[in-house]
Amino acid sequence: MFNLNLEPEGDRLTRPLEPEPGRKSEDAGPTRPHINRPDSGNELFKRMKKIDPDQAKKYRQRSGQ
Amino acid sequence: MSSLRSVRQAILCGTETEYGFTVEGSGPEDLVDLATQFVKQIKEDCYIGWDYRHEHPRSDLRGFSVKQLAFDPTDAQFDRGRSHGNSEDIRADRVLLNGARFYNDHGHPEFATPECFHATNLMLQDKAGEIVLLNAANSLAAELGKEVRVYKNNTDFHGASYGSHESYLVPREISFEDLYKAVVPILVARIVLCGAGKAGSESGSKCPYQISSRADFFMESANVETLFRRPVFNTRDEPHADPSQWQRLHVIAGDANMIPSAVTRKIGLVQLAVTLAKAGFAPQWTIEDPVAAIKQLSRTINPPFVISLSRKNWTTATEILESYFAAFEQLDLDTGDGLEESKPRADYSVLIQECRTLLQQIESNDAEAAHHIDWLCKRKLLEIAQAENNWDWGHHGLQSYDLEYHNIDPSEGLYFALADMGEAEAYPKLEERLDALANIQVGTRGWVRGLAVQKFRDELAGASWGHLTFKGQGQQKIEVPLEPDRIYEPQLALISNVGNFISCLTST
Repeated sequence: MFNLNLEPEGDRLTRPLEPEPGRKSEDAGPTRPHINRPDSGNELFKRMKKIDPDQAKKYRQRSGQ
Repeated sequence: MSSLRSVRQAILCGTETEYGFTVEGSGPEDLVDLATQFVKQIKEDCYIGWDYRHEHPRSDLRGFSVKQLAFDPTDAQFDRGRSHGNSEDIRADRVLLNGARFYNDHGHPEFATPECFHATNLMLQDKAGEIVLLNAANSLAAELGKEVRVYKNNTDFHGASYGSHESYLVPREISFEDLYKAVVPILVARIVLCGAGKAGSESGSKCPYQISSRADFFMESANVETLFRRPVFNTRDEPHADPSQWQRLHVIAGDANMIPSAVTRKIGLVQLAVTLAKAGFAPQWTIEDPVAAIKQLSRTINPPFVISLSRKNWTTATEILESYFAAFEQLDLDTGDGLEESKPRADYSVLIQECRTLLQQIESNDAEAAHHIDWLCKRKLLEIAQAENNWDWGHHGLQSYDLEYHNIDPSEGLYFALADMGEAEAYPKLEERLDALANIQVGTRGWVRGLAVQKFRDELAGASWGHLTFKGQGQQKIEVPLEPDRIYEPQLALISNVGNFISCLTST
């Protein structure tokens, strides 16, 4: 449980900006895959096989709100 | 600060979701006209006659109005030399039997739920909307003889975004500053628990995957815009209720969720922040640059989820969320009036427990979290797609799998396949969603709007969020306000005479 101190400037639970712990480069993508790889005969794989890899390249929408 | 009774009151809320869609052989220049056709294919019984007189999207909570809202210049190019007809015909507004609204908004079919007090009810209404979309899409496909696909997402991966908005009714007595300070930290931090995930990026530096599908599109901390230069905190002042008593918190910063509990969670967290604002008990965080903070957090796909604060301080999303939970747990909601503990208290306790469990699961890399959080569930899917195709993170094909995660057709969408396999949280049963389309929580003003459409459609001259207008005698129309905080009497459903119906609505 955190000790609430409702000070207006919000210094509670803060630390100096440098250094941040554990900050890694995210360029390589997620680092901890935890896949329960489904059986390749299942419905997910059937649907995945139908997907055109260029589908998102062709997908264009209007800018909404 | 509001009265204790006001703090205990549940917060009326609703969602508005703009859906992406494709029609075989058509491009973005066709989508405004096609979205009108789409909406007109609605298969559910409905009323045509939305009343636009009370809409003021250019009014700003900070006390001024802008002359016009900005438009996306790319969209303007699509429309060059084209005429779409008059605006009411383009919008093609429909009001459903449950009080929901279905219309064309800027080239997207949009489903706006009826107002609900509880996040779980609202989630069901939100998911019921997908039935309306799917039925209309199937009908349009049959009419055109072309394939039509519908996506509940927020981006076309080319820089065009469309919204999944939330609305919360807030007492006018809460100042803009207090509301802003209470809500912005939650809007930023909640993406860890409610983000829909996105392969790639559409602004700033490149990244292979991020937590929020919407974060790339925010450019300002606060403004009234929604189509261009979007803000983290939208200041549109359009309460759809008595403006002297109410303001509407219009949240445009959220992602479109496929996982049901993610919808409930994102609504519940903002309700919690508003409740704390009403009590004058919201934690005080000073996120100096909310735009940079949400973009930075969105790209932080492994804990700790660092958020920069003012004066070169920093914290984490977990600590911000926990501060709201702790603040609520210290809030004394006992009015001493002998009433049972309020429903909001029970809802929030469930919400807080669920959020804490999920945060612990994320921290400990427990795979269970991916069943309940879209960005983790999608990440799992993309890891499978990577392995199957021997792709690296960053391969453009992953965006196609991302897109199909959001396909709302249960026989095609990848989210639905994951749910059927037990790899994602189960979807509400079709019967539950159909029931939500026919019935809504009795007593809300959304319920009254739906009743009017069901029973007195021929007598209606217009319907909107805050009003019903009846034809009356001769030229004299009768306008009846729909009060957002009133619990209307269940006996209204038994009235068969329109005059008696109006009398009951106007009696206090």
